[in-house]
Amino acid sequence: MYEFRYHRPETLEDAAKLFSECGDPLFLAGGQTTLPVMKQRLASPSDLIDLGRIPELRGISLSGDTLTIGAMTCHEDVARSADAKSAIPALAGLAGDIGDPAVRSRGTLGGSIANNDPAADYTAALVALGASVHTPSRVIAAEDFFTGMFETALEEGEMIVKVAFPAPRSAAYVKFPNPASRYATVGVFVAGTREGVRVAVTGAGPCVFRAGDIEAALEGDFSADALRGVSVSPDGLNSDLHASAEYRANLIGVMTRRAVARAS
Amino acid sequence: MEKYGIGQPVRRKEDARFITGAGTFVDDITRENLAHAFVLRSPYAHADIGRIDTSEAMAMPGVLAIITGADWIAEGFAPMPTKSAVQTKIDGSKLNQPPRHPLAIGRARYVGEPVAFIVAETRAQARDAGEAVEVDYEEREAVTDPAKAIAPGAPRIWDDIEGNFCLDFELGDRQATDKAFEDAGHVVTLELRNQRVTAVPIEPRGAIAEYDSATGRYKLHNATQNVHANRAAFAGVLNISPDELHHIAPDVGGGFGAKNSGYPEPPLLLHAAKKLGRPVKWINDRNESFQSDTHGRAQDSKVELALDEDGKFLALRTATIGDIGAYCWTIGPFTPTAGSARTQGGPYYFPAMYYTSRAVFTNTMPLDPYRGAGRPEASFQIERVVELAARKLGIDPVELRAKNLMPADSLPRKTPMGLDVDSGDFPKVFGRTLEMSDRAGYAQRVEASRERGLRRGFAIAPYLECTGGSPKEFAGVKFAKDGTLTLSVGSQSTGMGHETSMPQILAATLGLDIAKISYVQADTQATPIGGGHGGSRNLEVGGSAVVTAANEIIGKAKQIAAHLLNSSAEDMSFADGAFADVKTDQSVSIEDVIAASLEQARLPGDMEPGCLDTGAIFEREVISCPNGCHAAEVEVDPETGAVQVVGYWVVDDFGTIINPLLAEGQVMGGIAQGLGQALLEEIIYDPESGQLVTGSLMDYALPRADDLPAMEMEFFEDAPTAKNPLGVKGAGEAGCCGAPPAIVNAVLDALAGDGVTHIEMPLTPQKIWRAIAEAKT
Repeated sequence: MYEFRYHRPETLEDAAKLFSECGDPLFLAGGQTTLPVMKQRLASPSDLIDLGRIPELRGISLSGDTLTIGAMTCHEDVARSADAKSAIPALAGLAGDIGDPAVRSRGTLGGSIANNDPAADYTAALVALGASVHTPSRVIAAEDFFTGMFETALEEGEMIVKVAFPAPRSAAYVKFPNPASRYATVGVFVAGTREGVRVAVTGAGPCVFRAGDIEAALEGDFSADALRGVSVSPDGLNSDLHASAEYRANLIGVMTRRAVARAS
Repeated sequence: MEKYGIGQPVRRKEDARFITGAGTFVDDITRENLAHAFVLRSPYAHADIGRIDTSEAMAMPGVLAIITGADWIAEGFAPMPTKSAVQTKIDGSKLNQPPRHPLAIGRARYVGEPVAFIVAETRAQARDAGEAVEVDYEEREAVTDPAKAIAPGAPRIWDDIEGNFCLDFELGDRQATDKAFEDAGHVVTLELRNQRVTAVPIEPRGAIAEYDSATGRYKLHNATQNVHANRAAFAGVLNISPDELHHIAPDVGGGFGAKNSGYPEPPLLLHAAKKLGRPVKWINDRNESFQSDTHGRAQDSKVELALDEDGKFLALRTATIGDIGAYCWTIGPFTPTAGSARTQGGPYYFPAMYYTSRAVFTNTMPLDPYRGAGRPEASFQIERVVELAARKLGIDPVELRAKNLMPADSLPRKTPMGLDVDSGDFPKVFGRTLEMSDRAGYAQRVEASRERGLRRGFAIAPYLECTGGSPKEFAGVKFAKDGTLTLSVGSQSTGMGHETSMPQILAATLGLDIAKISYVQADTQATPIGGGHGGSRNLEVGGSAVVTAANEIIGKAKQIAAHLLNSSAEDMSFADGAFADVKTDQSVSIEDVIAASLEQARLPGDMEPGCLDTGAIFEREVISCPNGCHAAEVEVDPETGAVQVVGYWVVDDFGTIINPLLAEGQVMGGIAQGLGQALLEEIIYDPESGQLVTGSLMDYALPRADDLPAMEMEFFEDAPTAKNPLGVKGAGEAGCCGAPPAIVNAVLDALAGDGVTHIEMPLTPQKIWRAIAEAKT
């Protein structure tokens, strides 16, 4: 780790102001990616701006059909939240299966989606549920938020305040973990929403994506049987030590069938 | 007192310290005026090193010294020694052993090889300076695959070594074996790999070196498994006498062989400490550990089994290529040669065997022993070929094994590999394992798995292994006036619980309270010799040294007791912690005798206070042969290739069990590492660039708690060995021998219906899925 300056502002305004004043700052959420990367000297911010003391970034609330989660809410809090469990049990389950207890107690929703790791779990939930990402100045639809590998629609210095999730009729998330890292080799979030069936895939490609063919097959018949004959192409999927594109394509099919079976 | 006796499940005395974070590991130690070192490692697998410009780095804040290969050679230091028990090729000539210095000299030969050593006021400053050292590398073609390394036209790693060849080796009767193959009813051949893995001890390597200019003596606190042998190695490198180096291992967080050997960093630290007149600390980080801890296994073998028409084994023939990395390291050439030869054929009766191997250099981190060092490889080889033979011949794999185990009445027997198998009952241990595994309920479990879309498989894997390591060990006992005593032994625990088991042996033999015994290990000033850790040797030689010392103490104590009772030593009996006169029935407790031994007034005239203090050496003549049987049941998800081990049964014959809690812990840990080898772990180098692909825990898959099954284990104690006074056979590495074949064969059993006959370890989900898909086409 190189030397850096550490700040802990208590308001969004102070955080934004600090960011604009520092040379090469980074926001620090749970630090579950930022800190290891800094330790390996792969990132060297001049300043870390810790968002942990800003009250409006925390908390979980349910209003009507909308579950709202503050950006600095840790995974463990989402997993244990009565509101999350009642409104979107698949989301609470997803949060409870990220990493390990230490990661879940430090890692945050906002940090995860701002990082947009191709194998992160939350990204699939946001896209499948049609969530919206709130920043101090605007609201971004999840599908527009994740723009590429480790890339998002956030502007330089723009913070995530909260994410609003409309509760679906039914939903499930099933992932196949990487044997070493336990990140999602492939994770599939299926949701029956007001706008129809939405299926988002994480881990398989450079960025979370919706599986249009699968959604179409499920639209009229939300059952695992409806997926017979739907083949997934390996084109454009990731290929690495643990999983080739062909294997990932297979896993998308298998994880989707299992998610549909669980959701229906 | 009884509860501390031999065979009692005494809880580990060291655990409170470890569990509460109160252990003292190297990185917990600090010193006044401490400086910190960083090792600059080669980013290339194979590259000539031109100019190294340290001027910019030296000018950076806090930088105290930078040592390069050229600086090191200029000091006239000797290369690191290789102590492999096998030193010659088949033709009798000496093995090809390139010089190994702590820093690369003129050429880097693996990713992670130390190139420069930087010392600064802080660790971060040393690392910063490392980034500013300018090294002119000229990259060369690298070779990381051993078969390619010995093929014609392969890049030469050492200019004066042709074909990247270290040595070859053979054992057994080649002619008799070849003849048996010619006459055989069936021959089954399998080519397989024991893939390269690394130990990943939870505590990375690290050390602190100090130099006292007043006395001219060095002190080294080091996360090592072997203070005495490495003291000799480091002293040899630095051209000093071993007496000038005090070598201590504090609490060590796991070793598994990866902390056995003579590493480059300690001599560099010792040199820097003297040069700077300051203590210097260095701690490896996890990524560096993957690159620079010695690796294990890495053997490619062709295994051939000859059977008669009825399935009786006639002969076994194994030919192995052992990858030993870029250097011979400390005992690297031993593992693929004698280390893998001795237990060829496992517990089966073979009239003839022949083993041959070649050790080969590659542009990779060198190999040294890893838990089992050749015996797990041999066990995997025989069990895989037996499983395949059963399937090819249409014989039940359980029956084929049962039919060929060495019968109890064939022991003692010297195997065709020269292994002296003196005791055991392989058929009984095998039968008991089968019984535990509930074969009667198996069909129902297969059906239940099938209903959930899963394939279930079962395999049984009997194993035979042997102990190793230094044959000699010392135990010393010192008595204090407050009634406590100190036991010092030259073996070493890196987590196995010697602090409990060794005092347990002493307490049981002397009839003393274990709480009064404190334990010292891994300190070259505490014991005159010491064999450290390795080869499951501690109970066998260390425990026997404790018994030897205790018996000497009892002999001397009898004289004191006789004096106290106005009797004669010949009339003294000793039992339950008391000396009694067999004629008068008068008795005196050992505590009282010990108290008397510290007061001249209560001693016979020819004895002095402290006369009970004893140091004893035990030397093993013949290694013992732990053996046993593992059985595993697995479920395979054919859609994803995922495996879950759902049942696990083990019966081990470790001879006498001193402490079943500790013995079970050894077995469980060995199974965990064996499961890692079977299903998860592999060190992979990129074949083109020689870069380490699995260089972190994000890519190198270690087993986690939820990968492991519940294990049912029993010990067979009816056949203690007569090779040592305790009757013990060594428990530390057995789990690693049984688990890979049991688990791999169980997975292949599950996939038999799919037509899958072989998958190389690790059996990852992707490989299993692909094997099923390929078998379909």
